[in-house]
Amino acid sequence: MAGGRHPFYKRLLKEYKSLSTNSLSGITMVKNDENLTEFIFRIEVTNHTLYKKEDLFHLSIIITSEYPVDSPRVQFVIFDEIVIDDDDKDSKGSENKDTVVVPNGVPKIPIHPHVYSNGHICLNLLGEDWTPACSIESVLLSIQSMLNTNDKNERPPDDAAYVKRAPLNPKSTTFIYHDDTV
Amino acid sequence: MKVKIVEWHGFSTWHWKLAADGDANSSAYVDELCGICRVAFDGTCPNCKYPGDDCPIVLGSGCTHNFHLHCIVKWLEQDTSKGLCPMCRQIFTYKESYPDMTEELANLKTLIDGHRVMRERYTEDNQEFEAFEEET
Repeated sequence: MAGGRHPFYKRLLKEYKSLSTNSLSGITMVKNDENLTEFIFRIEVTNHTLYKKEDLFHLSIIITSEYPVDSPRVQFVIFDEIVIDDDDKDSKGSENKDTVVVPNGVPKIPIHPHVYSNGHICLNLLGEDWTPACSIESVLLSIQSMLNTNDKNERPPDDAAYVKRAPLNPKSTTFIYHDDTV
Repeated sequence: MKVKIVEWHGFSTWHWKLAADGDANSSAYVDELCGICRVAFDGTCPNCKYPGDDCPIVLGSGCTHNFHLHCIVKWLEQDTSKGLCPMCRQIFTYKESYPDMTEELANLKTLIDGHRVMRERYTEDNQEFEAFEEET
């Protein structure tokens, strides 16, 4: 997809605008590319027993060339937001176009019975139950609520085996969605 | 006084009649967007340049969801669509309200029929499928 706009660029632009203006609580867009096909979001889970304030969860969303007929590629990633410390900010403060508050913390892959330690997520919405009526926003909300409602401090039962042979792209994995309880 | 018309320009506007009860005067639906490309129905799908007959609207008959013909065909071409409406996941069927059966409409019909056959086959083989899933 290098160069050239995505065929559904207009839709992506609408989604992008809506995401940047009516920001979702606890979800911050930390990075996006010009073509609006690659995004990184930071998801915060507050008041949770398992997830601490200093845990930083980053979700990578990559729009495939067949979007929105095809689901986006979504996975958790370890991502370092560039932390601008105060001294730096003072010396060339006016050059910063907007003041972005980067929380202090450790980037992590959230622990969840449906999230593998390599960041892959077993979620029906990202696979066979995707429809073009879903959107970047609906994916973000699903994943945020998936974390919010989780109370199990565990990885999927086959985590070690899966991570060893997992393809780079989680979309190449055929997940079997067997557990509706979490 | 005599007026001689030297030249005149006619203007007209149009929009798709989408409401089932035919209330074409209600302007509310003008804002409605195709659920797939999120462009107004009176606009075009991303692949077309001019709105109108070249980029027609398909009216869902089972559900009440409408789409640009090109958008819904793109979706139904996917196996993962299972022939379902993207908005409500009911089996997608459409109102055959166009007098001419264009190649594109024929294509839509073929896709819908194809999914129906797949569904019927799946129900027949359902037990085998389940056995297979348990193994993996």
